[in-house]
Amino acid sequence: MSLAIELKSITKRFGSFVANEDVSLAVERGRIHAIIGENGAGKTTLMNVLFGLLQPDEGEIFIDGEKKVLPNPAAAIAAGIGMVHQHFKLVPSLTVAENVFLGMEIRKGGLIDHKAQIARTAELSQKFGLRVDPGERVGLLSVGIEQRIEILKVLARGARTIILDEPTAVLTPQESRELFQTLRGFVAQGMTVLFISHHLEEVMEVSDTVTVLRHGKEVATRPTAELTKADLVQMMVGRAVSFDRRPRGPVTGKPVLEVSDLWARDERGLQALKGVSFQVRAGEIVGIAGVAGNGQTELAEVLSGLRPASHGTIMLAGQAIQNRSARAIRHAGVAHVPGDRLVRGVDRGASVAQNILMGRQDQSPWSRFGVIDRTYLNEQTKRLISRFDIRTRSPETPVKSLSGGNIQKVVLAREFSGDAGFLLVDQPTRGVDIGATEAIHSEIMRQREAGKAILLISVQLDELIALADRILVMFAGRIMGDLPGEGVSEEAIGLLMAGVESAPAEVA
Amino acid sequence: MEVLERLFNAALIVAMLRTTAPILLVALGGSFTTKAGIFNIGLEGQMLLGAFFAVIGTIVSGSPWIGVLCGVAAALVLAYIFALLVVTFRANEVVVGLALNILASGMTISLMKAIFGTRGSIFGHGLVGLPIIRLPFAKDLGWFGQIISGYTPLVYVAFLAVPVLIIFYKRSRLGLYIRVVGEKPEAAEALGISIARIRYTASLICGVLAGLAGAHLSLGYTTMFTENMSSGRGFMAVAILIFSNGDPLKLLAGCLLFGFSDALSLRMQTTLGVSSYIILAVPYLVALAALFALSYRSRPRLIQETLATMGRALSVKPNGASGS
Amino acid sequence: MMSDRVAGLMGQLIAVAIALAIGAVIILAVNESPLRVLVTLIDGAFGNPERIAGTLLQMTPILICGIAACISLRGGLFNIGIEGQLFIGGFAATWVGFSFALPPLVHVLFGLAFAALAGMLWIAVPAFFRARFNTNEVVSTILANYVAILLTSYLTINVFKRPGGQPDTPAILESAYLPQIFSFSRLNWGLFIGVALAIGAYLFFTRTARGYAVTEMGANPKFAEYGGIDIKRQTFVLLLVSGAVGGLAGGIESLGVHHRFMEGFAPGFGFDGVIAALLANGSPIGTIVTALFFGALRNGSLLLEVDTTASREIITVIQALIILAVSAQILVRRRASDSTAGERRWKF
Repeated sequence: MSLAIELKSITKRFGSFVANEDVSLAVERGRIHAIIGENGAGKTTLMNVLFGLLQPDEGEIFIDGEKKVLPNPAAAIAAGIGMVHQHFKLVPSLTVAENVFLGMEIRKGGLIDHKAQIARTAELSQKFGLRVDPGERVGLLSVGIEQRIEILKVLARGARTIILDEPTAVLTPQESRELFQTLRGFVAQGMTVLFISHHLEEVMEVSDTVTVLRHGKEVATRPTAELTKADLVQMMVGRAVSFDRRPRGPVTGKPVLEVSDLWARDERGLQALKGVSFQVRAGEIVGIAGVAGNGQTELAEVLSGLRPASHGTIMLAGQAIQNRSARAIRHAGVAHVPGDRLVRGVDRGASVAQNILMGRQDQSPWSRFGVIDRTYLNEQTKRLISRFDIRTRSPETPVKSLSGGNIQKVVLAREFSGDAGFLLVDQPTRGVDIGATEAIHSEIMRQREAGKAILLISVQLDELIALADRILVMFAGRIMGDLPGEGVSEEAIGLLMAGVESAPAEVA
Repeated sequence: MEVLERLFNAALIVAMLRTTAPILLVALGGSFTTKAGIFNIGLEGQMLLGAFFAVIGTIVSGSPWIGVLCGVAAALVLAYIFALLVVTFRANEVVVGLALNILASGMTISLMKAIFGTRGSIFGHGLVGLPIIRLPFAKDLGWFGQIISGYTPLVYVAFLAVPVLIIFYKRSRLGLYIRVVGEKPEAAEALGISIARIRYTASLICGVLAGLAGAHLSLGYTTMFTENMSSGRGFMAVAILIFSNGDPLKLLAGCLLFGFSDALSLRMQTTLGVSSYIILAVPYLVALAALFALSYRSRPRLIQETLATMGRALSVKPNGASGS
Repeated sequence: MMSDRVAGLMGQLIAVAIALAIGAVIILAVNESPLRVLVTLIDGAFGNPERIAGTLLQMTPILICGIAACISLRGGLFNIGIEGQLFIGGFAATWVGFSFALPPLVHVLFGLAFAALAGMLWIAVPAFFRARFNTNEVVSTILANYVAILLTSYLTINVFKRPGGQPDTPAILESAYLPQIFSFSRLNWGLFIGVALAIGAYLFFTRTARGYAVTEMGANPKFAEYGGIDIKRQTFVLLLVSGAVGGLAGGIESLGVHHRFMEGFAPGFGFDGVIAALLANGSPIGTIVTALFFGALRNGSLLLEVDTTASREIITVIQALIILAVSAQILVRRRASDSTAGERRWKF
């Protein structure tokens, strides 16, 4: 049994923060080896060390039994390692072939030989079963195909070991399955796959061996077959988390938000919402499930007035709010926790207090005659800091010096402290640690108890199952099904997420 | 009718090509920085400094060719400072570009006074311009020959650079990398292409062309240096770069539009007697009009949206009727 | 927090020192003694009461133009067209000054209001296209400068030229004069207007709801949009206000100093204002200091040209060097604050 990769006692520090501490990893050739751990457990750092993007402070790297120093990705590539990043790095205006050969162009007489590149791409695509049209512009292709191109890039560079960083985050279950098949094809040809994930299901399904990282340390490396999901969770978080369904009473409130036949376009002018209809009642959490990029972002933007609807109505407590300004919608009683909180949700350079002020700066008692009441703002900020348990030195601390979970709490504190009847909550716990996630979930439940109507958009099914009274599944801009939160299975949701026309019960 | 004939003839096209050349050169230079994702408002200063040192170099050496080299070298120094501050120090490109323009303007005037003891302009002192090239076969081509022959060399350089740049961006590795760095820097980084190095390269090539543009202004287009003689051509070039996105062909079209409006307005001054102030304002107004008109392009999406909505509203009934 | 500010200020001062050192080398290169230039500059700027008043006189338009720049910078916008607004405003006020006969105070106010209105109108088209279609305002306002200067020259020489040789308009009526502060200088109330504007802008940005909205638009426009701030409208209005202040600077210059409009009226004050605002990092109060600094340079340079062989443009070289040095030292500050991409901070 020969080792393709062996990392010995890798330690990587960023200032005083230790991202990887004494991590050792042995990867056998011809295997799919998964590396799992929570966000921030050090998975990506470790892989960046292996790919030459980061230099370890301590430790050694062996590739095919030979000790290597990898000062840059080029050295890693030369050693037969390829990496498919979580965020694709393709150039939209170039063709598939140009992207595959970018950085290693085939040239004839000093000029790039486009024909030869297309031919070689077609050849590779054939050999490894990754279907693409080499002459097509990448900007026109779907995410699944973009991933294939990324893999082709790695293969074209002669990689024998492929690292995939969260490869399924952007894929439908079907695309994921196809990817897994491709990966199995690779190992059958003697290649090695390193697979980073925090999705237990996938790891169980596809990997031969699992390494679990926690807080930058290696917890265990075991054959997958010997483990259960519960074991993995236990190892990942160090304690069993109850992502159990939160107990609750029945929904009895009146409809607060009624959306009917809503259409909208995305940036490229393509239909992103195709006739979406649903309602949310007071004291109800309606979850929106779906693979990222199926219209959830656009739905949130249309509901909050950041994107025009091309057709349809949105009624909030009997008042039509579609295509009103963001300001008017806020005033009508919509609070919005945005999905991209660092871009939209806060001004990172401004203080906690300045961030709390947003959206209410021209309302009494926050300001009078256009002049901000700074005493009131300071008092309220202090109150919200303790009420939402925001870990900050003072109201004047810049938001950017807080942790991800605390930044999200600032956003929640602002949005949940108004008198909005409808809360639009988009990816509330993305990139947030377990402890803060628990707190955020409890807060959302508390808002439900307080009789707010809540629309919870999330790509994490366990989150939806824990919190939602009903789950709507979006696919390609449509709502594929309306499932009860109680007793629903991830499998049932997954099928709808993939766009499979729904279970017989739905046809009715 | 007579007036029109006097306005539009082969001589007008010649004048148009002459006035196009300086702005085309500097705009082609800016194409490199634009494609590499740098907003280069400093073209104006590079061009001005190039014009000044081209004159100095010519006076000192007696050869306009050495003058051209001096002009290019001076513009390169400015381009290097721009790249150093913007790429390495990550300073704001608008601030740096403006400061360099002011630097070039103040420096040329100060040096002019220090060296020649005068203000205003430099001519004489043994200053010679670039020779005029008469194509030997042009005589047999009638009016077309008239149009293509008899310019200073940098005019030919400017127009020949357009097809060269097209091939450069499409088929050369450096051209490809410049585009990648501008469009998707992460992609370049992931492949080990140094973003900084590509941006430096693009800035320096831009400096060469801006320097040539300046040298052409003081040794080809005229044979003198005047205070602030680039007179906003660098800024007009930036306007063209914005709406052409740095594509050589669109850029050529934009520059020809300027050359044409410039040449035409100069003629109107002589034939119609319009105030010179109004005539001088024409190129700036054309630049502004083009900038505004072309940014109006984002309009079609709105129209599309409306049409699509109306289309759907109209098609709802037929759909319903067909019973889905 | 305080130490951050101190560190920032120190960096700024070090950058200025470096720029002055490079400036000294350049002065040496043009065969002049840097020390003599420095002494002459200081003497020319502060040597006697008349010269101090002269420095404040030069400072006034730089300060007001600087406030105009601060206003746009705060919202993340670059109004580089202040020079043009200054010319247009100056002409508009002059026109009011010589065309109407009004009671003294009313005449001044009317002239200044008209100057502000003219500056506002001059930026209206670029502002509209920036707000509506995101058309780059840097280029459009710069190009508009050239048009403004040519247009005012045209109006001065082809339409309103005063009989006689000089290329200037008739003088304004005395009722339109902005009162002077001292008998020995043309220094006038414009200085007070400038300082009041600076303080007003500071209070507006730090204390009011609208000022907060503008600041957030400049810091993170997506956040501002999400918070219900109408970015397009605010962009348009902000640029209009910035243009109005630029026009006002021209009005004050013509009603307070020249009492007429001529070719080459107040050249470069608009650009100096932009630079002063940038050097002050967009702070209106800081701009008072930087405008004084640039006013002193300018006034000192008048003596420079008389007493030495150096040209007064050498000071624009020094100004440019200062800005370049200040823009470069951000590297140090960036590392300290670990700012990441994605935010549109206009600060350099």
